[in-house]
Amino acid sequence: MLTRQFSIAVPIFLTIYVIQEAFVSQIRLPGGGFSILLIFALTWAVLSETEVAAVIGFAAGFLMDLSQTAAGPFGQWTLIMLLAGYAISYIGYGDDNVQSNAIGIVFFVVIANLLVEIAYVASGALLGVPFGSFLQIVITLFGMSIWAILISPILLPIFTRLHAVIFDSRSAL
Amino acid sequence: MRNGGRARLLLVTLIVTSLFLITLDLRGVKVIDGFKQGSQTIMSPFQRAGSAVLSPVKSFFSDVTHLGRTRNQIEKLQAENANLKSKLINRKNADAQLKQLKGILDLAGTAGYKIVSARVISHGSSQSFSQTVTIDIGSNAGIKKNMTVLSQYGIAGVVKDVYPTTALIQLASDPGFRIGARIAGTQQIGILTGRGTRSAGLQLLDNSTTVKEGDILLSRGSIANRPFVPGVPLGYVTSVDNSAGAVAQTATIHYYTNFSTLGVVAVVVSGSSSNPGDALVPAKPRVTPIPTVTVFVTPSPSPTK
Repeated sequence: MLTRQFSIAVPIFLTIYVIQEAFVSQIRLPGGGFSILLIFALTWAVLSETEVAAVIGFAAGFLMDLSQTAAGPFGQWTLIMLLAGYAISYIGYGDDNVQSNAIGIVFFVVIANLLVEIAYVASGALLGVPFGSFLQIVITLFGMSIWAILISPILLPIFTRLHAVIFDSRSAL
Repeated sequence: MRNGGRARLLLVTLIVTSLFLITLDLRGVKVIDGFKQGSQTIMSPFQRAGSAVLSPVKSFFSDVTHLGRTRNQIEKLQAENANLKSKLINRKNADAQLKQLKGILDLAGTAGYKIVSARVISHGSSQSFSQTVTIDIGSNAGIKKNMTVLSQYGIAGVVKDVYPTTALIQLASDPGFRIGARIAGTQQIGILTGRGTRSAGLQLLDNSTTVKEGDILLSRGSIANRPFVPGVPLGYVTSVDNSAGAVAQTATIHYYTNFSTLGVVAVVVSGSSSNPGDALVPAKPRVTPIPTVTVFVTPSPSPTK
């Protein structure tokens, strides 16, 4: 069952990765912009059960590591996204206040987006990856969160519908 | 219970896989490079397409952000824009790229660098806090890692990774970017470090030397001209930190290159046989004299009625 679902999900992930790398990254947005792949993976993680969310996070992180602009070592995004996916699902899955409420999902995604980026900076700092001045990091994190707040509600209906179609759930909002 | 156990096993397996990938990468195993090269080879046609489609709008947000700071420049450009309205949009893009290319050729020609010009096909995502661009030439065009990349005004960055048809450029604004710098007209040297914006930090190496606002910085050059050829204009000093307790003087530098509008760049494939010295120091802008009229009035001896 899961094999069939993941075989459908893989092309969707690849399409979103291509959109992110070929189009979204091209536009120089102020404040660091947003990652459509990150928002997509976090949205799906909120809607999925823990083991599926972990695999979703792993796949999304792997694709983010494949991005030529990834500053850290290969596997850093994979590890962070895997843990983020699992944690989000662990907290949010089965909670109707979160899953059946669009605002709840957006809130979860935005907070998770910020925490994931902080985790990336923190782990990158431990691994010796240069990220610039503290002020620059804070501005970028703030900018990314603002973009996540703006973009998540727009993309939420599409992402939840795709999730509902693939995983036969009733999570479409 | 059984489901919980399976989930835990899956989680542990995926964590171990991630840690395995990180370890392989940190140890420099080539398989990981192969993954990245393969994905880049697949992605480059999409990035070219995306660049072509988004070319007219991709700098829109960047331009809006700099609206207040560049009001005078915008007014000047608006006047120029009126003349250009009659031309086609594609022609406008081509003209802009031609201008950048001409600037680069002038720069490289003066210094005697052998260059290969390239178009920027993708700007790196900020999600990883790095400042990079992808260009449309790679190892097939003779590009190698650690080559200097120029814009029309001076340094743009350095080649970080090379793929058959594309290359990843680490911009000089990247926080991980370091370059040996020399103050033009002197032999004072220091290290310039990117800060994620158009400004950079300069740390002088000798505590007996001084730097002042307006000083122009040039690249000092590396052994065998890699990663940096000597004499490339970097930027100018905007402020100097004169803290009493500092071991050596530090300063803030403004790069000549505007990294958000890079369209055409050039990779230096071989430097000149001799050091160009200060030959590439940009000419100071000429101040246009404003004519003033002075009227002398001599009062008449008797008051007029």
